Formats: sequence, C-alpha cells, structure tokens
Amino acid sequence: MNLIERVVAISRRRSPWICRLNAGSCNGCDIEITPLLSPRYDAEQLGIELHGTPKHADIVLISGTLTLRSRQAILDIYDQVPNPKAVVALGSCPSSGNVFAGSPLVLSCSLDSVVPVDVWVPGCPPRPQAILDGIARAAKLLEDGATKSQLAKSRLAGSQPESRCGRLS
Amino acid sequence: MAMLKTILGNLLRPSRTRAPADMPVVPPTYRGALTHDAGRCTACGTCAFVCAPKAIHFTQEPGISVSWHFFIGQCSFCGLCEQNCPTRAIHLRADIPGSMNSAGGDGLRLESVIHLQPCTRCGAAHVPLPAATMDALWAAGADEAERGYCPDCRRWAASARLRTAFTPDGAVAEGGRHDR
Repeated sequence: MNLIERVVAISRRRSPWICRLNAGSCNGCDIEITPLLSPRYDAEQLGIELHGTPKHADIVLISGTLTLRSRQAILDIYDQVPNPKAVVALGSCPSSGNVFAGSPLVLSCSLDSVVPVDVWVPGCPPRPQAILDGIARAAKLLEDGATKSQLAKSRLAGSQPESRCGRLS
Repeated sequence: MAMLKTILGNLLRPSRTRAPADMPVVPPTYRGALTHDAGRCTACGTCAFVCAPKAIHFTQEPGISVSWHFFIGQCSFCGLCEQNCPTRAIHLRADIPGSMNSAGGDGLRLESVIHLQPCTRCGAAHVPLPAATMDALWAAGADEAERGYCPDCRRWAASARLRTAFTPDGAVAEGGRHDR
C-alpha cells in the first residue's frame, strides 16, 4: 500500500458519510439517529455526516423490518452507494423481523440474505452511543478494507452471492 | 485579554467536545444486555412463553442437560422475561449490548446449559432447585435428605409426611415408589 492509498484509507475512517434507509421500521431507530447528530452525542466529532442521497454515502444505516415492498428498494439503494461501502443494521428488526416476524408481507429473514451487512447494532431501539459505536466500527472496517463488499471485490470481481430471501418468482 | 485567553485555550484544547467513550450515562433502569444464571434457572419455560418475539427457547438433551437459548437479534428488550422469572435467573443489565461485526454470525446468541442431577431417591434426572429456594424450603435439618429429590419424589415425601401425621404409628408402607 503506497502513501496515497494509505491517506485515502485513513480519510475513509476519519470522515464517513452516512445515509439512512428505513426499510419498514417503526421509526424508533430513526428517532435514535437524530440525537446522534445533536451536540449531546455529537457524531460529527468522528467526521460523521448524514446525507440524504446514497450516492454520497460511505455507510448505509438500515433500520426496520424487511418487507416485500422494501426489498427491491434496499437492493436499488445499496447499488447506488459507491464502492467501498459498508452496511450497518440498526436494531433487532433487520436481523430477524423481531415482533413482526411472521406477519404478512414481512420477510422473516436476516438482512444479510439481501445485502451483505458489516455491523449489527443490537437494541430495540439501540441507544445513540451504540449506533455511534457501530458507525465507528464500520468506518474502521472501511479503512482496513475488511467490509464484506470490499472483501468480495478483492476475492473476485462481481460474484456476489445471489440474494435468495423473498424473491418473487 | 480575556478573549486572547479564550482563543489560546481553544487552540490548546482538542477540537471535540466529548470522546465517544465518555457518553451520557445510561439510566440504571435501562434494559440492556441480558444475562442468565443457570444456577437459579429451573427450566420452567416461563421466559420462553412470555417472550413476544420468541427470542428465547429451550432445547434438551434427555437425561443430561437443558439448554436455554437467547438470540439478541430477535429481542425487543421489553423485560417481560425478567419480570416473570420466578427465580430471578434472568436479568437485563444496564450496560448496552455492543455492536457486532458480522464475522461472528448474524448476531449474538447466548446459550446457558442447566445440568440435570440424578434424584437421590429414585435416580431420575431432574433440574435441581436453586440453592436459595432449597435453603428456604429445608431450613431446618429434619428433611435435609429431600434436597436431592426429583419433583415426583418431593411430592411422595410430602404425602408421606401427611400420612404419618394422620397415622402416628408410622404405618407408612416404605418403598411406595411413584410410577414413571
């Protein structure tokens, strides 16, 4: 790794831009992101900046139960995020569906079977400092080149595992 | 001059206001990471029954052990399991469950193994009572032998006591074993 690559890697950790994706959440996790950006928790001390568009983001925060309607949206938005990218799953819902598991049109499966998830933040909803910790971990993974998308890319170009869950066919 | 002091102070101080480590304190009643004490669990299954998202379940190896399983990725931290646990084996601590890299699986799974013990009378494997409950039940040494009994033998011992109370000459047929 030459000097320029090293500087780029460090700046990925020092300035992760995040974008928020609600996949059918009750808004509990999204409300916990708001104090994260306030002076009390002060996410910007880590260089974290919330962006509205996935095209500017490094890290996608995905919250909420996966539904049949939101599955394609998750895939589309994930594809719009430029490489290298990391995914942070907020709360219990993305990993299992939580209390909504088994409801009609809810995919009772892990988010990992739709997009590769790098960090899971447990909690219902997670506290803001837990979310901050999760973003910091994801930023560290981005620096190390250890996110799942980066590893898949370095292994062999574009052979991502086919996502199986909730496929309509 | 005062302004100069402020500027100098600001220049010397680090730019951030608060490190990620010293965050606002968590309230003591916060329901965070869940712990399970196998020594107090009687495997009654109340926690698995009251858990709305079904994050808790039990598996058993007949005759050897009963295992309590918990999947944090399905927990909504409502605290019903702690509230309903009759022996207070489950506790939701105030500290926050840490975030996990997906290398360690798709979330945190806890497993706690409760070993079965053979009954000292009939030899049947059973989940022993928690020590505190035993101390409360058999405080005086009279029925000390009942400590290692299985629930069926405990029932038998209680009925034997009742029968001796009615027939003081001790006409209890010894060896009245329960059917299983």
